Amino acid sequence: MNEGEDGGWSRLVVEKPFGRDLGSAQELNEEIRRHFDETQIYRIDHYLGKETVQNILALRFANGIFEPIWNQHYVDHVQITVAEDIGVGTRGAFYEEAGALRDIVQNHVMQVLCLTAMEPPVAFDAESLRAEKVKVLKAVRPIPESEVDGNAVRAQYTSGWVWGEEVRGYREEENVDPESVTETYVALRLFVDNWRWAGVPFFLRAGKRMPKKATEIAIQFHSSPHTPFARRDTEGLEPNVLVVRVQPEEGVSLKIGAKVPGTGFEVSSVNMDLLYGTAFLEEASDAYQRLLLDLMLGDPTLFIRADEAEGAWNILDPVMRRWAEEKSVEFYPSGTWGPEEADELLGQDGREWRRP
Amino acid sequence: MIGETRRAPGGGPMSVAEIEHELGKLRANEDGTLALRSSVLNLIVVTDEMSAPDVTRSVSNLAGRYPARAIVLISDPEGERNVDAQLSAFCNVRGGGGAQVCAEQVTIHAEGPPANHLESLAGPLLIPDLPVFLWYPGAFSPHSPEFAAMADLADRVIVDSAAREDREDSLREMADLIEGEGMPAIGDLQWVGLSPWRSLLADAFAAPERAGELEKIASVELLYAPGGECRALLLVGWLASALGWSPKDLSRDGNHRRVRFDGPSGEVAAHLSPDSPDARLRRVRLRSADHSVQVSRHRERREVKTTVMRGEDLVAERTVHLGHFDLGVLVGEELQFRGCDETYEAALRAAVEILNL
Repeated sequence: MNEGEDGGWSRLVVEKPFGRDLGSAQELNEEIRRHFDETQIYRIDHYLGKETVQNILALRFANGIFEPIWNQHYVDHVQITVAEDIGVGTRGAFYEEAGALRDIVQNHVMQVLCLTAMEPPVAFDAESLRAEKVKVLKAVRPIPESEVDGNAVRAQYTSGWVWGEEVRGYREEENVDPESVTETYVALRLFVDNWRWAGVPFFLRAGKRMPKKATEIAIQFHSSPHTPFARRDTEGLEPNVLVVRVQPEEGVSLKIGAKVPGTGFEVSSVNMDLLYGTAFLEEASDAYQRLLLDLMLGDPTLFIRADEAEGAWNILDPVMRRWAEEKSVEFYPSGTWGPEEADELLGQDGREWRRP
Repeated sequence: MIGETRRAPGGGPMSVAEIEHELGKLRANEDGTLALRSSVLNLIVVTDEMSAPDVTRSVSNLAGRYPARAIVLISDPEGERNVDAQLSAFCNVRGGGGAQVCAEQVTIHAEGPPANHLESLAGPLLIPDLPVFLWYPGAFSPHSPEFAAMADLADRVIVDSAAREDREDSLREMADLIEGEGMPAIGDLQWVGLSPWRSLLADAFAAPERAGELEKIASVELLYAPGGECRALLLVGWLASALGWSPKDLSRDGNHRRVRFDGPSGEVAAHLSPDSPDARLRRVRLRSADHSVQVSRHRERREVKTTVMRGEDLVAERTVHLGHFDLGVLVGEELQFRGCDETYEAALRAAVEILNL
């Protein structure tokens, strides 16, 4: 089965989650490689098949204006949000085993982190792109188990209101243990220890039953070091933020300071928002269709290499070990942006989550 | 200003993603280019079916001056469960070029239980990174969980203290609100309506030879129509807080109120008389031993006249055109502020202190 015949080929597609921790991912890789060559293995993360996720690369590397400021000299911190408004629905039994860390963070969020933080690849091909992503994962500072509580938050949704509908809490969902501590929300503070990102915190969050479905990367820049304007005139001025929005409507927005029209010189923030795609594409191809086409063409660029999958687990392993030990979880009402503890994660540095 | 209003066809039950998608489509120009959206704020309005047309008109008029996303929530908790949305965008063609600024309006009818959880409808539609103004054009319950949930979304809440029948209670509730922990800044349209009056009164004492008279004011007379009660009380509260008068006692004679204050140079007597048949605020007169300053509104024209007398002599006179102060203009004034208006808060506290005597 693993060998092509008559000019044909055999390729293996593996859907996420790839293992449930570093050890099981390594075992799974070993097991598969006993039968298939790495070039035949296609670990799929449908996020990479999304037009919008690929556009992060286009934005960064096809435009000359962003790369010079895409580093610790200019960036104060980065927030990556993958929010869903839905609950676990009928997937309660699966979710009890997985939780948000394994279901979303290990794959989707880590992939978005890689695309945001990576160095420019020398070419848009499988080896160049994946090598740069692996470098990011290797540069992420591991969180020692003793520091997990200060850098990671897990929480579970309780009942609440989402878009005019009353919804039940996670523990009331079908096939969910009424005393479950499985997380439906994760927030993490990570650092990418390399020349480009030294000292810049990356705040990652993923959750279910948030107010809306939203995936975005927000790059918050340092405030201007000095303004010649009176303090009261710049009260409404906030640091520049560049947001790459993956969904709901793909686009880029930039928050800048501008003069308020009038005789004074009041400066306030304006949000310039550019949609660059989906509103006008009648039929964007499905992410899986795109990836399966790549698979058939033998292009693994948008698939996960073995060391990428293991690298992502390696970052999250201490968090999972700590959480397995400590059987407690925070709570947030459905229809909110997460628990207070996640606000404190940023609040202790004087920062706050952006409302997506 | 050259502009055009674009409306999305249909309406009805829509998801957040569908609303965003349709609003995106409204930004498409006929020539295939996309209008860049430049916004400065979010404006959430909570209203009812009856007031909705007036409120919507005022919000549309704001679009040219304040590029914003307006979310108009028409709430009917007694109705049969339903949530539907209508969308429109205002595109402003600048200088005849292709560059356009789009302001958007999402109107949501929420009936039945969702009307008590409007925060779950407004929150997902807010444009990120921009301040959120929450406007209640009519009466609302400041102690309700529904209001608290909406206020949680906002940086500033705009209310009309005169929207309730019992205006004394309304001012008391406003005063409670500004003391509430974690409560966003509060703005009151009745206070905005006072701004020309406050400017003119302050101007009357701006001349160096009259500046000293402020401390010697011994009496205040205010003539207003019953609908102007909040303005009258806030104006007296402003004078008291700015000039350091502490309220001593309050006597009521029908709808008339007489207040005595301890001022820096002795007693100050204020008489609030609701005998004006029309204008919310008709006349304010301040008297010291030598001077009398009067600001009064013309009965027919939109003008306010200031006169300053020393004894029987007219020493200054000025007439100012009031301009057009409709609902949209008042709200527009409020949208310029983000933080607390400390002068308003001090005036409100003083007004409530008077009412509680």
